[in-house]
Amino acid sequence: MLNRQVAPPITPIESIEFAVPQVEEIKKGIPLYWKKDIANETSKIELHFHAGTTIKTPILASLTAGLLISGTKNKSAVQIQHALDAVGAYYDVSVSQEQAVVTIYALNQYLPKAFGIFEDALKNAIFPENEVAEICNERKEKLKVQLQKVNVLAQRKIQQLLFEATPYAQVIAQSDYASIRRSDLISFHKENYLNGLAKVFLVGDLTLDEMNQIKDACAQFATERGKPVDAEFSLKAQTFHEEKKDALQTAIRIGKIMFNKTHSDFISFSVLNTILGDYFGSRLMSNIREDKGYTYGIGSYLMENTHFGYFMIATEVAKEVREATIQEVKNEIERLQNELVPMEELALVKSYLLGQLLKAADGPYAMLDLFSGVELHGLPISFYNAYIKKVQEISPEEIREMARKHLDWKSLSIISIG
Amino acid sequence: MIHFERFKLSNGLTVIFHKEPSTPMAVVNLLYDVGARDENEEKTGFAHLFEHLMFGGSVNIPDFDGPLQAAGGESNAFTSNDITNYYDVLPAHNIDTALWLESDRMLSLAFTEKSLEVQRNVVIEEFKQRYLNQPYGDVWLELRPLAYSKHPYKWATIGKEIKHIEDAKMSDVKAFFKKHYHPSNCILCIIGNFELETIKEKVNRYFGSIPKGKKSARILPLEPTQTRFKSKTISRNVPADAFYYAFKMPERKHPGYYFADLLSDIMGREKVSKMYVDLIKKQKLVSEINAYITGSMDEGLFIITGKLNEGKTFDDLDKEIWKIIAHYQTNLITKKELEQIKIKLRTARAFQDQGLLNRAMNLSFFELLGDANGINEEQEIYQSIQAEDLLKFSKQLFAKKNAVLLKVKKKKNA
Repeated sequence: MLNRQVAPPITPIESIEFAVPQVEEIKKGIPLYWKKDIANETSKIELHFHAGTTIKTPILASLTAGLLISGTKNKSAVQIQHALDAVGAYYDVSVSQEQAVVTIYALNQYLPKAFGIFEDALKNAIFPENEVAEICNERKEKLKVQLQKVNVLAQRKIQQLLFEATPYAQVIAQSDYASIRRSDLISFHKENYLNGLAKVFLVGDLTLDEMNQIKDACAQFATERGKPVDAEFSLKAQTFHEEKKDALQTAIRIGKIMFNKTHSDFISFSVLNTILGDYFGSRLMSNIREDKGYTYGIGSYLMENTHFGYFMIATEVAKEVREATIQEVKNEIERLQNELVPMEELALVKSYLLGQLLKAADGPYAMLDLFSGVELHGLPISFYNAYIKKVQEISPEEIREMARKHLDWKSLSIISIG
Repeated sequence: MIHFERFKLSNGLTVIFHKEPSTPMAVVNLLYDVGARDENEEKTGFAHLFEHLMFGGSVNIPDFDGPLQAAGGESNAFTSNDITNYYDVLPAHNIDTALWLESDRMLSLAFTEKSLEVQRNVVIEEFKQRYLNQPYGDVWLELRPLAYSKHPYKWATIGKEIKHIEDAKMSDVKAFFKKHYHPSNCILCIIGNFELETIKEKVNRYFGSIPKGKKSARILPLEPTQTRFKSKTISRNVPADAFYYAFKMPERKHPGYYFADLLSDIMGREKVSKMYVDLIKKQKLVSEINAYITGSMDEGLFIITGKLNEGKTFDDLDKEIWKIIAHYQTNLITKKELEQIKIKLRTARAFQDQGLLNRAMNLSFFELLGDANGINEEQEIYQSIQAEDLLKFSKQLFAKKNAVLLKVKKKKNA
């Protein structure tokens, strides 16, 4: 007879196998990583360009990225899109602070062709006036909608405060759309796309010839550059509150500049971050959602850039509990600084983190993403073996030490809007 | 081709097992055949509130998420107007933990007052965050009752109003559980590198002793055939005027469902569709435009939506929309365009099938439709659609008396 009150035994994860992709050299210092053993017909290519929002201005980065396949001397935007559709390809471009990434998804038999269409569009892009006007209009309207959302406003505000006086603080304003000139886009494109390819990730069962052709075509855009300039941040904690008369909720952001994977405290801090706010059973979720019902969700994150990272707690709460929520966040952080995490909770978090890593390593696409996460920092794939070991070993004392060292309440900036 | 095995327990639980040797993970997906359409009109938002309560502890296990996380897994769920779907993803060697947890909450919940009180608040905050505190957030709260007069699709999954959630009582919760949460109202799908015999043994061990419930007949108010065009204008604090044309379309099992789906892909295509080229590029009437379907089990909606450029009026737009519709009612879609859409569907499908969780949800959903093998047949249906089918279908679908229009007008001072 099954005793339902007794949990089935759990086997911990001891080790995970990590695999590196094949490395090809496009040019000196510009790699193409290829994951070729795919059991199905899907494939994708990701091209990383030195064309993020901090290179010049966010408006230039964002519009140029949006117009990469908007027309050449011989082909209109519509014709290019038709050509991609004819091979069933999906095209996407995303812009972050330090880079722009173009991704093309297709069935493997069509990927070389889809890449060729993109290559021609990128190489010969002319940024037609009507396309520029169109995207400005569309983006301006979308931004208006975004700027009515308290979570967006709070996110922009904390970005501006944490990164004050550096390129990382820049956000797009409505007025930017009026001042944009086509010639600026053309020169941004020339500097950061035609001469800005940083690396390429390729997944798919392609032939060696097909891969080589793609690699050779990439060479024309590849230029070795140094890493982004290391910005100097003030690190001064700031607080900001803005009342919004019509808002039903208040968005809260609490954060500070932190480190990335290259720092010796990274893994230990990640475990602390998980306990605090990075899974469903976290301290913040248990207290602020599951005990008090103040919010639909609250979480904490550690984001990474080339030279630094930043830590952030984010939530939207009922307007009347804004102060109570901030106080509870403070209580939870102080509890981690003053009390040892119970062994049972720590064991749960360790097991959870390793289970999530096993999932993150499952399948060729996931594995390449994991690899990309260490490659960005020049770390070897064995970082993840070190991660497993550290997670298995970490003690409650070390967690408390991390909370004391890195989460001093006075070091955190607090933003609330709504 | 996705291979699977199906078996049924004596208490009525349907089990779909799909062996995937390449993964160290397991997916356990439970689809309960209950959604917002099964709610009482005076107590809406209940199926979704209930989904939250399913994480508040079961009869023998005080905490659902803790043990699953301790096993290296995680869990979530979603509620739609038609179904409630729960899933667990965890390392395969710990699959027992998921089966233990899911079977106990199918057996019975803990039904604590505290859990009900807290989740009421959480759902109210969700209501505000997603539907009220966002520009255009309440569109579906307005559009549904405009499009449906009788059928329960006239309310959104979150509920008609916050008050219904505030008023939820423990007795309601218990009755809802008894009616909808039992083996014969559930499809369990498991994916992982296991043997069928192992899965049979495990599922029997955990779920076999759960009492058989009674699958109640679903008798929903029939939506009367719409006989005239309806429109409504609401005034909101939004940055641009927005429009939502909604046409009644066939239910999920009808062949017309596939026509509508493909047609919405064609009409909503970014950059190249006729709507995009005419209204954005040529006439500069709108800043964005899209077409999609709601994909519901019963009679659904085909939506055409977008935002007007400043200085343009709803009347300007209305003329053009009906012109475009007339185009699809009188012209065959070109062979080239149809081929493009079909190959894009093939690509999309290949990528979807990559994901284990996606496969588990789809297998469960097709089983609910009648046969999990539908997952392997669907592509063929799409690939066989001809331009003539779509032309004929457009004539019925886009009849004006089959449409409603919601206009969201920007407030003057906004």
